[in-house]
Amino acid sequence: MEDLLELAIHGLTLGALYAMVAAGLALMFGVVRLINFAHGEFYMLGGYAFWYAYRELGLPYPVAGLAATGILSAFGWAYEHTVIRTILARTWHVQLIATLATSITLTNLAILVFGTQPKEVPTALSSTILEVGGVRLAWQRLVVLGAAILIFAGLEWFVARSKMGKAMRAMSQNREACAVVGVDVQQVALATFAISAALAAAAAVLVSPLFNIFPDVGALLTLKAFAAVITGGFGYVRGAIAASFLIGITESLAAGYLSYAFKDAIAFVVMVIVLLVRPQGLFGRRIGI
Amino acid sequence: MRAARVTVAAAVLVAAPWIVAAIAPGVQRYVLHVLIFTSLYAALALSYDLVIGHVGNLSLAHPAFFGIGAYAAALLGTEARWPFPVSLLAAVAAAGLVALAIGVPMFRLTEHSFAMGTLGFAVVVQVIATNWVDFTRGPLCVTGIPKPALGSWRIATLPAFYWLGLAAVTLVGLFYHGLTTFRLGRAFHAVRDNETLAAAAAIDPLKYRMLAFVIGGALAGGIGTLYVSYVGVLCPGELAVSLTVNLLVMVFLGGVGSLRGVLVGAAAFTALPEILRMAPTWRMVIYGLLLLVVVIRWPDGVGGVLRRRASAS
Repeated sequence: MEDLLELAIHGLTLGALYAMVAAGLALMFGVVRLINFAHGEFYMLGGYAFWYAYRELGLPYPVAGLAATGILSAFGWAYEHTVIRTILARTWHVQLIATLATSITLTNLAILVFGTQPKEVPTALSSTILEVGGVRLAWQRLVVLGAAILIFAGLEWFVARSKMGKAMRAMSQNREACAVVGVDVQQVALATFAISAALAAAAAVLVSPLFNIFPDVGALLTLKAFAAVITGGFGYVRGAIAASFLIGITESLAAGYLSYAFKDAIAFVVMVIVLLVRPQGLFGRRIGI
Repeated sequence: MRAARVTVAAAVLVAAPWIVAAIAPGVQRYVLHVLIFTSLYAALALSYDLVIGHVGNLSLAHPAFFGIGAYAAALLGTEARWPFPVSLLAAVAAAGLVALAIGVPMFRLTEHSFAMGTLGFAVVVQVIATNWVDFTRGPLCVTGIPKPALGSWRIATLPAFYWLGLAAVTLVGLFYHGLTTFRLGRAFHAVRDNETLAAAAAIDPLKYRMLAFVIGGALAGGIGTLYVSYVGVLCPGELAVSLTVNLLVMVFLGGVGSLRGVLVGAAAFTALPEILRMAPTWRMVIYGLLLLVVVIRWPDGVGGVLRRRASAS
């Protein structure tokens, strides 16, 4: 029983990680109809930015975390400005290969700069264990869950209430009509990329004290997050978040009870099963964030 | 004139081992080794282009089919001691059948989702190859894979392997040409260019997509067999996603959907890194940037640029 609870909490942490990455991916697809294969690399770069600020510069955890998130948000903005803008009007083939190429370039640059040795960033909370009735878990996991709830609530508020969020929702419905009524569509796309990159970086800041940072951490993460996006119903942010938690918990339980070695395959098994039963995804509907 | 040129080119290719021996005797083995890799990569790139260039499905699962064929042949050759032609056929069949089985759920996906789904499948296959140690030996690698042999006739020398590679790429090339030129090719292109219109003309898109996907996968499995029988060792790393990137660079640089373009791309991208002698990490950085620039600036590849220039003048 304690095992089950522990695994479930681990699954929730994993789910929170996937959800933060998948939410950005779904947001991008919703607003500009583009799949960013380099999304996991935002997480990877966020992790290294955090490692540098926290371990090398010795900044306190919250400051280093906010700095990393801010830096990646600027990086997402610059990425939209340079790469994405040139491919937005092109076919999806070109978009997909261009973002895949970006992902390869960033991963291998990270190997050249940081080396293949994983970087560890333990915090005080990641080694402090909370024990409640036989269930043992690191405080950092509670931090992850708490922060994830805050972040998703913030995202929900932003998309529903703020002016930019409304513009995003409008653009996800009809880009041309937005341009006609005077929405600055380029500004909205820039904001979407900045926010999505910041979400991925926030995930890295929260989770890397538990897991290590290494150059190709992004590849598998993009895939799993994308599996969550497909499972949840394409381009639907809430669906992607829910599916991420489903995948996280399934993966954790499968790693505990079935086989640890094959845990990375779980996300795809879930995705394939869901697609066979419901091709439009669990919460499938037409596109719109 | 054209026939004469083709004959000369074919003669040069067939006589390459002697030509290399005459011109550069010191590095003969090395040059032949690069040529063997080039021919195998060219054949693999062609089989890949059948799917992405002709029915327009951006599959990223090709290393998986290559790997399934490679593992099937490696394990049948070492554990079961099957003769080479039989394990080659078994490898082709295994890769084709897996492509068929995985195609059923994957073709429910479109565009990006199909790409991601197939990439996911490729990752799963690599995870299995790495972790199912009892079966694939995992990171310990399958070693001592026998050389191809037909009865008492063994292919063991470098020139013999070169001719085998040349035969493979010629066969795949002819097959590619046959599949993409006639009635079937027109159906493929109809599905690629306008799925709705194709369906309205009683061309079942799913059927043709599946056909190209399964044939491409089966061919990749066969090439995987040749590859492991040449190299003699098979590790899970051979199935990595970086193989897809190499193939994408070859196909997109040369020109998607064009036999000559893909061959040129494959030749350039197997020989070039050998000549430049770069560290693999730097090579991937350059490949990534090159792929980015090529796909944005010249989406139909160098072949397309040359074609346009030729028709303009």
